[in-house]
Amino acid sequence: MKKKDLILAGAVLLLAGILALALRLPKTENGNTMKVTVDGEVYGTYSLAENQTVKIQTGHGTNVLVIENGSVHMEEADCPDGYCKRQGTISRVNETIVCLPHKLVAEVESDGSTTDDADDAPDVIVK
Amino acid sequence: MKKKIVAAFCLAMVMTVGGCSGTGTAAQPESSGSQTQPASVAEPSSSSDASEENSTQESASSTASSDTADASSSRDIFAMDTYMTVTAYGPNAEMAVDQAQQEIERLDALLSTGAETSEVAQINANGGGTLSEDTTYLLERSLDLYDSTNGVFDIAIYPLMDAWGFTTGNYTVPSDEMIENLLPLTDANNIIYDKDESSISFAKDGMKIDFGGIAKGYTSGRIADIYRECGVTSGLINLGGNVQVVGTKTDGSKWRVAVQSPETEDDYLGILSTADRAVITSGGYERYFEQDGVKYHHIIDPSTGHPANNGLVSVTIVSADGTLADGLSTSLFIMGKDKAAEYWRAHSDEFDTILEDEDGVLYVTEGIADDFTSDHETNIIRKDGDT
Repeated sequence: MKKKDLILAGAVLLLAGILALALRLPKTENGNTMKVTVDGEVYGTYSLAENQTVKIQTGHGTNVLVIENGSVHMEEADCPDGYCKRQGTISRVNETIVCLPHKLVAEVESDGSTTDDADDAPDVIVK
Repeated sequence: MKKKIVAAFCLAMVMTVGGCSGTGTAAQPESSGSQTQPASVAEPSSSSDASEENSTQESASSTASSDTADASSSRDIFAMDTYMTVTAYGPNAEMAVDQAQQEIERLDALLSTGAETSEVAQINANGGGTLSEDTTYLLERSLDLYDSTNGVFDIAIYPLMDAWGFTTGNYTVPSDEMIENLLPLTDANNIIYDKDESSISFAKDGMKIDFGGIAKGYTSGRIADIYRECGVTSGLINLGGNVQVVGTKTDGSKWRVAVQSPETEDDYLGILSTADRAVITSGGYERYFEQDGVKYHHIIDPSTGHPANNGLVSVTIVSADGTLADGLSTSLFIMGKDKAAEYWRAHSDEFDTILEDEDGVLYVTEGIADDFTSDHETNIIRKDGDT
């Protein structure tokens, strides 16, 4: 009986290990992401690992964000001040590009896959 | 035996899931690793999975799990011409964030120079008026700062800001003649404040005031007070890059506050570890326009009427007093490094500062030197006068 208990204990640990790995696996596949919100609501979440152009059309107007080599910048916007286009490129966790007239915020997030990033990332950026 | 195997499987599940949810990014307010973690409903990390379903700009994190200290609430607000995020942790987080939003909206309506109905706009339109409790406080603080900075902090600068187009977005470089004509109207010394009557008037026609130089710092300070009244011991207030942290992170460690680099948007000057402080930065890089290849930024030196150009490109103030931090960030930017260091030595019990000069060299006052990490060349400003 004792031996069986030991085997069972081993099995429990093994199963726990396998499950832990299984739960972590999907996270390692995704790179960091860009979350776009409009009016405070999530419009979409996009992987930074993939070069892509994201066109956002809402009642406020149109913005075009470009993800290039893991960085995000505002390529086009029909807002009155065009200030969002001058906010440069962002790639670090918690960095944002804001288009105030269109109430649009693009924010870089970590999906947890790059744990180094999450640990080193600041909680907030002063500017 | 069968029972034991079932029990073993359950145990394995508990070990796995329980192990995951407690680790890693739980204290990171903006991390969003919760999709694959069924046990993370009440974690702060779920706060950023914002509100797909509602339009009140609430993040959906503060679930009814009031029995746990893991509750959190976060909200995005567009106000005061900027984008704000207020976050609180703990059982009263939702209540605190509700009240924070109300306070932001109340102060915005009171202080906006753009809204004709605001108290400040009415004072400007009528050449004076009666002050409410908030504007009385702000005026007294403004006039104190005007004195202590020898006129560098000046809420009467508004007509010049207007002439440059920074109030409207119609940017233009005013003629020298126009600036000469406006300079006499932009001296806070000509503000007449009647303390007994709580009223304000102007010694010269055409004067106008704007609390924009301290309004956000005052607002973040008010929110910090609200958090504390609500019993919130961990919170993050970000008013368009003006930051105030309340308490520590939920794990007891200090908040990590990065200061953006003015040269490259995608870089930090360094990271400050801090608790219970406002951290507010001023730099010419935030708002500016270009004309004939020259950049003109929005921090106008009241002594010249032109954008300040005294060798600093970024000034960060760290203080328990949000109003002071906001007011001094522009003031020290205008002063330049030597005068800023001199001012700090006379007021080192009230604030600390991080300065960057135009060569990219950093200067950090000794009060926060141990809490600031940076890859840049960093000098320490000491009370005894060495730099």
